[in-house]
Amino acid sequence: MKRLRQYAWLVGLLLVSVLLVGCETGHKFVKKTAFKDTDKMVLVFAGPVDESWASNVGNFSAYEEPDPDIVLTIKETILSPDKTQVTLIFADPVNTGEAHIVSATNILSEGRDLGAAVLTVKKLYIGVLMTIFIGAALINNFVFTKYLGLCVFFGTSQKRGTAVGMGVVFTIVMVFAAVMAWGLYQFVLKPYQLTFLNVVVFIGLVSLSVQGVDTILRKVNPMLFKAFGVYLVLVIANCIAIAVPLILADNEYSGWESFALALGAGLGFLIALFLMACVRERLELAQVPPSFRGLPIAFVTAGLFALAFLGFSGLSIY
Amino acid sequence: MDPVLVKLALAGVATLGCIGLFFGIGLAMAAQKFHVEPDPKVEEVLHTLAGAQ
Repeated sequence: MKRLRQYAWLVGLLLVSVLLVGCETGHKFVKKTAFKDTDKMVLVFAGPVDESWASNVGNFSAYEEPDPDIVLTIKETILSPDKTQVTLIFADPVNTGEAHIVSATNILSEGRDLGAAVLTVKKLYIGVLMTIFIGAALINNFVFTKYLGLCVFFGTSQKRGTAVGMGVVFTIVMVFAAVMAWGLYQFVLKPYQLTFLNVVVFIGLVSLSVQGVDTILRKVNPMLFKAFGVYLVLVIANCIAIAVPLILADNEYSGWESFALALGAGLGFLIALFLMACVRERLELAQVPPSFRGLPIAFVTAGLFALAFLGFSGLSIY
Repeated sequence: MDPVLVKLALAGVATLGCIGLFFGIGLAMAAQKFHVEPDPKVEEVLHTLAGAQ
């Protein structure tokens, strides 16, 4: 129990630190910057700013961080009644997935000049992580929308117990492997221009993490090891385990983003396995035509699940 | 052959070799550190059983 509380503290601390990292804006008089709707940005100041300064569109310029040469056109600026909040309205929709740089000329507050500001406007980092997590778990569920990992999926989804066991083991191994893959890709493969060896290295990495977890768990927690049983070895045969490192390398994800992707992929697999196992347990008692019994009806069910998961495709939280 | 490509290939072999060696030694050390004595009785019992299942 005491141990558990320690872990909870640690996780809480990490979350807070991630949140804080997402909050820095670039100028001490600017409290907060954020996107609003699809074509607006909000700058919140620590005190009131002058209307003459804020209402002049020419005082602001904005561009997407990767393309400094493409300056976005600002249609209008609106100062809130309490004069601490400026809303920039753009002529075109803004790509909110990308960080934007807003430069403002010397900020005037009650006649005083507070210096020019170069501000970063981006989604809160935790929001980006949540988007990746939910994307991997539901919207782009690896089993139902990408059709990966089907062999293990059909092999271990006959009983609820085995399904959950497989899902949990897979999630743990996946997180280990993905974080290692991120490190190896960013700090070894990319600097030495060996990215064409991605597949080879990642396959080795997955088997390495499986072997590592196997070796360590056998000694540290034999009960858990017994509970995991054969599933640990089965993780190697799962195509999702190689898809996740390749995706995070393709998208140039950072360490936290890789972590979120791996966790989402693992949890999505767990959800898929659990749902499928629930249905297959009932199918045992159903009157299925003889030629459909067993695997064929399971494939039909998986297809129906895939259709149902299409419903998640429009989901966006942040 | 283009010397740049040769260099790249050799660098790849060397880097992968290093990675392999590094993780191989790591795994070997882990195996030694977390070594578990296999219980001889388990083997014996398994041997005595029919083993049909």
